[in-house]
Amino acid sequence: MTQSVWGPVQREMTDLLQGYPDDVPAVVDQLTKLQDILTRVPPLLLENPLCDFNKLYLTITEGVLEKLYDGEFKDPAFLSRLDVEFAARYFDALRAWAGTDMSPRCPQVWSSLFARIPGPDCRPLPSACAGVNAHINYDLPFALVTTFDHLGTEPVDDSDQHHDYLVINEIFADSIPGLRRGYLEKWQLLIDMMNGCLDDWWQGEAVEYTRNVAWRNAQKLWCLRNDMGALDKERAGLDRVATDLNRLLLSPLGAFLQ
Amino acid sequence: MASEEDGPLVGRTGTLTQIQSDLRNAGPGGTSAVFLTGESGVGKSRLLRETAAAMRDADFAVLSGTCLDIGDASPLHPVLQALRQFDHNVQPADAGDLLDRVSQALREVAGGRRLLLVLDDLQWADRSTRQLLLYLLAGLGDVPLAVLAAVRAEALHGAHPLRKVLAELRRLRSVRVIDLAPLDREQTVELVAAIAGGTVDPEDAERVYKRSGGNPFVAEELARDLRDGRVELSDTLREIFLSRVDELPTAAYAVVRAIAAGVEPVGHEVLARIVPLPEDQLIEAVRAAVAHRFVISQQDGYRLRHRLVSEILADEVLPAEATALHRRYAEALESGDTEPDHARLAHHWQRAGEPARALPSVVAAARDAEALYGFTEAHRYWSTALDLTTGDAPERTELLAHAAESAHRCGEHQRALARLDDLASRSDAPSACDLHLRRARYLTAAGRTALAEAEYVHALDAPDCSPAQRASAAAQLAELLVHLGRYADANERAREALEMTGATSADLVRASAALGYSAAFREDPAAGLDVLRQAVEIAERSGHPDEIGVAYLHLAELLAGPLNSIEEGVLVARRGAEKASRTYASRLLAIAANGLFRVGQWAEADAVLDTAMRHRPSGAEAVELLLSRCRLWVGFGDAEQAHRDLDAVATLLAGGGARHVLPMLTLRAGNAMWLARWPEARAAVQRGLLETRSDDLVLIGILAWHGLRAEAEAHAAGDQVDPLALRRLKASVDRMAAGAHNAAVQVRAVVDAYIDLCNAEISRVEGRPDPTPWARAAGAWDKRQQPYPAAYARLRQAEAILQRKVKRATAVTPLREAYATAIAMGARPFAAEIVSVAQRYRVALADDLDTVPMPPPEPDPGDELGALTQREREVLAALAEGLTNREIGERLFISERTVGVHVGHIFDKLQVRTRVQASRVYLTAA
Repeated sequence: MTQSVWGPVQREMTDLLQGYPDDVPAVVDQLTKLQDILTRVPPLLLENPLCDFNKLYLTITEGVLEKLYDGEFKDPAFLSRLDVEFAARYFDALRAWAGTDMSPRCPQVWSSLFARIPGPDCRPLPSACAGVNAHINYDLPFALVTTFDHLGTEPVDDSDQHHDYLVINEIFADSIPGLRRGYLEKWQLLIDMMNGCLDDWWQGEAVEYTRNVAWRNAQKLWCLRNDMGALDKERAGLDRVATDLNRLLLSPLGAFLQ
Repeated sequence: MASEEDGPLVGRTGTLTQIQSDLRNAGPGGTSAVFLTGESGVGKSRLLRETAAAMRDADFAVLSGTCLDIGDASPLHPVLQALRQFDHNVQPADAGDLLDRVSQALREVAGGRRLLLVLDDLQWADRSTRQLLLYLLAGLGDVPLAVLAAVRAEALHGAHPLRKVLAELRRLRSVRVIDLAPLDREQTVELVAAIAGGTVDPEDAERVYKRSGGNPFVAEELARDLRDGRVELSDTLREIFLSRVDELPTAAYAVVRAIAAGVEPVGHEVLARIVPLPEDQLIEAVRAAVAHRFVISQQDGYRLRHRLVSEILADEVLPAEATALHRRYAEALESGDTEPDHARLAHHWQRAGEPARALPSVVAAARDAEALYGFTEAHRYWSTALDLTTGDAPERTELLAHAAESAHRCGEHQRALARLDDLASRSDAPSACDLHLRRARYLTAAGRTALAEAEYVHALDAPDCSPAQRASAAAQLAELLVHLGRYADANERAREALEMTGATSADLVRASAALGYSAAFREDPAAGLDVLRQAVEIAERSGHPDEIGVAYLHLAELLAGPLNSIEEGVLVARRGAEKASRTYASRLLAIAANGLFRVGQWAEADAVLDTAMRHRPSGAEAVELLLSRCRLWVGFGDAEQAHRDLDAVATLLAGGGARHVLPMLTLRAGNAMWLARWPEARAAVQRGLLETRSDDLVLIGILAWHGLRAEAEAHAAGDQVDPLALRRLKASVDRMAAGAHNAAVQVRAVVDAYIDLCNAEISRVEGRPDPTPWARAAGAWDKRQQPYPAAYARLRQAEAILQRKVKRATAVTPLREAYATAIAMGARPFAAEIVSVAQRYRVALADDLDTVPMPPPEPDPGDELGALTQREREVLAALAEGLTNREIGERLFISERTVGVHVGHIFDKLQVRTRVQASRVYLTAA
């Protein structure tokens, strides 16, 4: 059997991940329970970097749920599906996590964050950002594609769905303390220090945070979605780029952001 | 025979037993499924083989197929391939017919036994296969089927379509998704010992575990190395096999490479053409390849022993050599006696670097796919064909048109539009009018109605527009405008179309329907009906079953919907169904069944649905009919059947189809409510409210009513009301009321009737029994000629009167009316509810009530306790025994606080202030 990477909460973790939430309230519920479990993962307990991300993600999803109940989205059916699909990828990554080099089915970008759970400690903001990066830049395009496929519609710019997607982005941006101007300048500096692929991928969209990057990538993936080979190549590429960014965020340089 | 080939099976006994029992354990729909996921080499295929053998012994008919990874497999490949082994060839007459024919073939193979369909490498299944699988698992094919499929876990990353399907299916009771984990240390050691024989050095065994990571395929090969005395264990699977390659005789190596380049299974005759060796030498070479564990030989041909082996070998074949092998395969396939498999031929010619020779087979494969209604696959072939030609090739124009149309047919709207742009830029492009019409059609399908409207207008303005095209553009535009609710514009365009000469009968039908609908909505129903009746005549004269279907559909919808002449609508729908084509017949019968349900003729609705299901609907039509039937089950109180149909709907929706989610949730709530499962009903309604657009007023109406009713029933049963849920429900009712003003008259009438029901339920939740809103709701539904909600409102009206204990006599008539309606419809749980209210308040439902069989009456509560709910009476009984709130809570399994709330209510209702007084009332009444 797989090794116990979650220590004393292994059993609870396994039990919790038996669940596959299928609506937004169920996602919120699962994230809430997950938060409680994560605060008990030794040795860092509630200081572990995944805890930082999960807390942020829970807040954001609660925000989404509230907006849904208030009828603030143009296409709530789309948004609910997207939220469920989106979360499913995070839970899948957690399910696949069995330790460094032991998790062939866990995306690299998530592995890079999970591997830091036992330490060394890093600052809460870059930790949360690393999770956001994995979730938005890697998971979101695929969640979008699956959702559109399920609903029988397509990712068209300026559609109701695009509008709703941008609202979600706003919730994300609003929920990260300091993730506005001041933060972005430092962020841009960091990106500038990197070279090559990261820069291309970013395409100067940093000012809008990662706003449209996931949407554009989803449109690209949409055209490939029936071509398994090409899709997998694209997936591996996204995973690689996002992983590079995470290494940076979780390095001592990342602390510079906070 | 498997044992020597396969080696020992370690650590899977439990899984094997579980799979077999899951497969045997068919759900209510008579089907079951097990999906095995796991990494390559973890032993999925092995478990498939073992299970198939065991089930065959248990008298299952077993059918096996493997999905191909050649990227462009033909539609339904694995299933049709499996059926061919039983000499069944499927030739469909239309898309729905295809699924029916396949089911029929499967039933014949089964011959009365249960059928096990084994599918390996399901991650490569084409879209048609996935849809067939859902159709069969939903029980629509009427095949007693168990499905066992293996899925490579690595493939489920990202946006793989199976991910979503599995996520939805795993919720169903008859479907299991089993994740096959690698072996643990002990199991690996056991496997090593079994293969290496005798005692194994613990250190060696440990090394095998570490290097294989518990992957049985790798562990097995490492163990063989150990047994054969290879001192230095190879580090990777790659090294294991590469070192074995070195030991292969030259001819055997040639055989292995040839099979690696082919599409499995490779038949012996084909192999003989690829590897130019004399017969006896070839057989010798194959024998050596089998002995060295590269190749397995089966009845239908040769395969490499494992996918992992072919991946390793793929790197060992030189590009030039691969090209030559593919060319030989293509030539071998072409020179065969029978019609070649075009998909396969296209695959080999493309890889042989011969685009010109590949093109005809790619085009043939596209046409084959279209003949099987696999438009996704067809679209891929047309796109490949385009890739194989260059810009100035004359055939490109035709290819682009096909690519655009197939993209449109499989829902790839963006692609379709892009192809159309390419087509428009060709020198020999179709006329401008033609292009505008196509673009408008694609845009309409994509839901981009504003752009579509503009295209129709362009088409009408185009100078090269023929009279027939002009009529067609106007008719289609009118249809679109009706859809958008712009009845005045629709009316005008429809008139234009009808005045033009040269319109086809299809366009005449379309335009008349639009004209009739828009007239009816603009408050001239009589004129609208006349036009639609004319449309039916035109269609009947043309005799085309699709046109007849369209005309009848519009007429029936208009009558049963906005005009509220339900009975006539039902008649029209049933008459149309006899003459229309298959798809339209299903839709017409659905309208008839829904109409019959609404007017309370449930037995008749049941019969209509029976007929409709015998047409073997698929896709959206099937979902709609299943939902209609489920609504009947809920009404009849047949929870098991309702569950079965809800499961079937969920299965079909796993492939996509969001617009049916809300009706499904409503029915789930309705069913849960009769079973007194309030939290389940509440969850379904809340999810529905969350996912509804604010302009779906009627849908919100039904949902909100269900939600409020669930809260009211929970309250009446003494359970907790969810204040948050209640608040949201009230907000929805407000939103509905606000939106109803802007709705069309016909919609507003329905919405208002639901608002009446909602407000009445709110009074019930809040514990203020008030007959007035219920009486109003009953009146509203009477006017809509819908006896079920009307009778329900009457029951609550009577109940409120009885709770108030004023003018008791006025409760008798509504209660008896409700009861008569319930009995006439066969609404069992509803009738039971009426009986229980009547008993609680001692109202005789009929003069000869005693002859009506009834459940034994509950302990007679007496008049004074009549105002109490069942739960409150239980609390009061315990209180009278002298128990404290805590003790009562422990006895009734509720919290002390809840007991306190109940006691408060009891005091209010009995108008007492102390426990002693309450006990006295109870003891006196009892």
